[in-house]
Amino acid sequence: MEHPILFISLLLEALGAPVPHTMVGTTLAAKLSSPHMTYTWLVMAFLIIMPKLTLGKMEMIPGKGQNFWEAIIDGLEGFMADNMGKEGAKMMFPMLATFSFYIVVANMIGLMPGFMSPTSNLNVTLGCTLIVFVTTHILGLKFHGAGYIKHFLGPIPWLIPLMFPIELISHLARILSLSIRLFGNIMAKETLLGILFMLAGAYFAPLPILCLGVFVSIVQALVFVLLSILYFSASMEHAH
Amino acid sequence: MSDNRREMMRLLGDFSTIGMSVAFSIFIGVGIGYWLDQKVFGGRTSPWLTMIFLGLGVAAAFKNLYMMSKRKDL
Repeated sequence: MEHPILFISLLLEALGAPVPHTMVGTTLAAKLSSPHMTYTWLVMAFLIIMPKLTLGKMEMIPGKGQNFWEAIIDGLEGFMADNMGKEGAKMMFPMLATFSFYIVVANMIGLMPGFMSPTSNLNVTLGCTLIVFVTTHILGLKFHGAGYIKHFLGPIPWLIPLMFPIELISHLARILSLSIRLFGNIMAKETLLGILFMLAGAYFAPLPILCLGVFVSIVQALVFVLLSILYFSASMEHAH
Repeated sequence: MSDNRREMMRLLGDFSTIGMSVAFSIFIGVGIGYWLDQKVFGGRTSPWLTMIFLGLGVAAAFKNLYMMSKRKDL
């Protein structure tokens, strides 16, 4: 397949940076200038600059920009409060809102020609998933102390040698399923768009896939955040 | 988003994990067993730990399904 044209990579190459031609480079400089890293930084810059530009001064009677952001933030917080209670939602809101904004923008940016989705690289999604995984267990330890081990032992004492490995396996399977779902969906979208552009781009062949891409981007971001909410609330409540 | 729609999204997220959690539980079980067999015990216990952990992985997969069927909030 043809190499996609990524304008940041072209720009960096013109400036003399060692942009790798494989998925991930070998040296540190090549790793830092590989496409998924540079596009992650683009998404981060977009997310920092865009609210600053549109929000303006905070006012009692919101204007256009403030109204938009308030609606989004309010919707997200309501969504979290439904699933993990008001207290938990307040505590975990900054992290989960960051994840949802980052993943939505990172998925959507790949729909434009010349850009790619950072989430179509397994390393990025695995990083997000490991953060969620570690936070889940930190929350469990914080809420239950040493008694958190009861979550892994099951209800019956003499079944402990059987239940402990089973629980361990099902917790490790969460890492794989959470990261590979997001990666797989977005990679499929990107690859399909690339192939269709190459075959019949002049006849608008990728148009239906672009529409589906918008839907998939939003649903996958929502599912990622929803599953992290479920894992967090499961580790916060008492063992059954 | 209306309440009904939100509920539907939540269920969609929940149930889209079923197939994956079954598949990955089994793979992780086999992976742990293979690692124990080949790396920790150096191939002396060769097929046995892989088989035992395959069984545990399948059990974990079915335990996930059972827990989902027992949930009160669905």
